[in-house]
Amino acid sequence: MFHRMIIAALGATLFMAAPASAHDEEALRNAPPAAPYAKVSDLVALPDFLPGLGMLYVDPATLPAGPFLGYDRDGKLAATIYMTPIEALESGTSFDDLGVGSHNVSAVDIYYNAGHPGVDKPHAHVVLLHGEDARARLAE
Amino acid sequence: MITRRQFGRVAGGALAALASRRPVGAAAPRDIEMRGTARGERVWFAPLAIAVAPGAMLRFVNHDKGNSHTATTYHPAIFDRPRRIPSGAAPWDSDFLLPGASFEVTLSVPGVYDYYCIPHEHAGMVGRIVVGRPGDPGWEGPAGDAGDLPEAALKAFPRVAEILAKGRIMPEDLA
Ligand SMILES: [Cu+2]
Repeated sequence: MFHRMIIAALGATLFMAAPASAHDEEALRNAPPAAPYAKVSDLVALPDFLPGLGMLYVDPATLPAGPFLGYDRDGKLAATIYMTPIEALESGTSFDDLGVGSHNVSAVDIYYNAGHPGVDKPHAHVVLLHGEDARARLAE
Repeated sequence: MITRRQFGRVAGGALAALASRRPVGAAAPRDIEMRGTARGERVWFAPLAIAVAPGAMLRFVNHDKGNSHTATTYHPAIFDRPRRIPSGAAPWDSDFLLPGASFEVTLSVPGVYDYYCIPHEHAGMVGRIVVGRPGDPGWEGPAGDAGDLPEAALKAFPRVAEILAKGRIMPEDLA
């Protein structure tokens, strides 16, 4: 009885988690990605489109690290972004085995960010660009 | 104290309407810009500090395309922070201003007003407004206690004498 309930619950969890996986390239190729991904500008006070990052979606359960999925103005996935607070890294927190929005990574940018609504402590942005034209598509 | 908030392009018409309702002869607001680098490595208020006469109107404007900012007074009534405005003054909080949005406040009680940006206080995004001069009725100088302020915020406030002497102070590397 208990076993069956656990298996049923596990099944439900897997079923719910499956379409959300940040390894499921097809499902994430075009905005909006399915739940539990949510539009960042609906969660916190930020513009819909952030120059350099695009239209961001994130599974709130994965905050602050992400992955954040960055879409261009045509709704095409252009970047996967991670946000890792400096303080957390300094105190020994690691962010391992994070999902990626696409396996096609043409370049990676890493830079410091002083904070913004949603991740309001100084942190690093790690930006995986998906395609040679991704940077241009996210510029503005 | 009067405060007003505007939401950028969307509120263009409303802004014009409000502007026309400003009393005849009232001075234009002094702007304090919220700015940041394109990737958000640095964020700041420009000017960082300003000296104005009692009754002056100040307008905070977000010029940062990639970030939201607030102008929020240090006060127990707002997020239970230490009071760093004159005891006779009402606290104010712009809430999050998206790019292009603005917030106006009129300051009448003389003294020193310290404020911060909610998501960027830890990055030292704070500002100081000096209203009137020491000796004005009701004047209250700067807070002496560090309270719970982060180091980055505390070290950013210019001295009152310097603000009064210069009128306005830009962040160090922008001067
Ligand atoms: Cu700010």
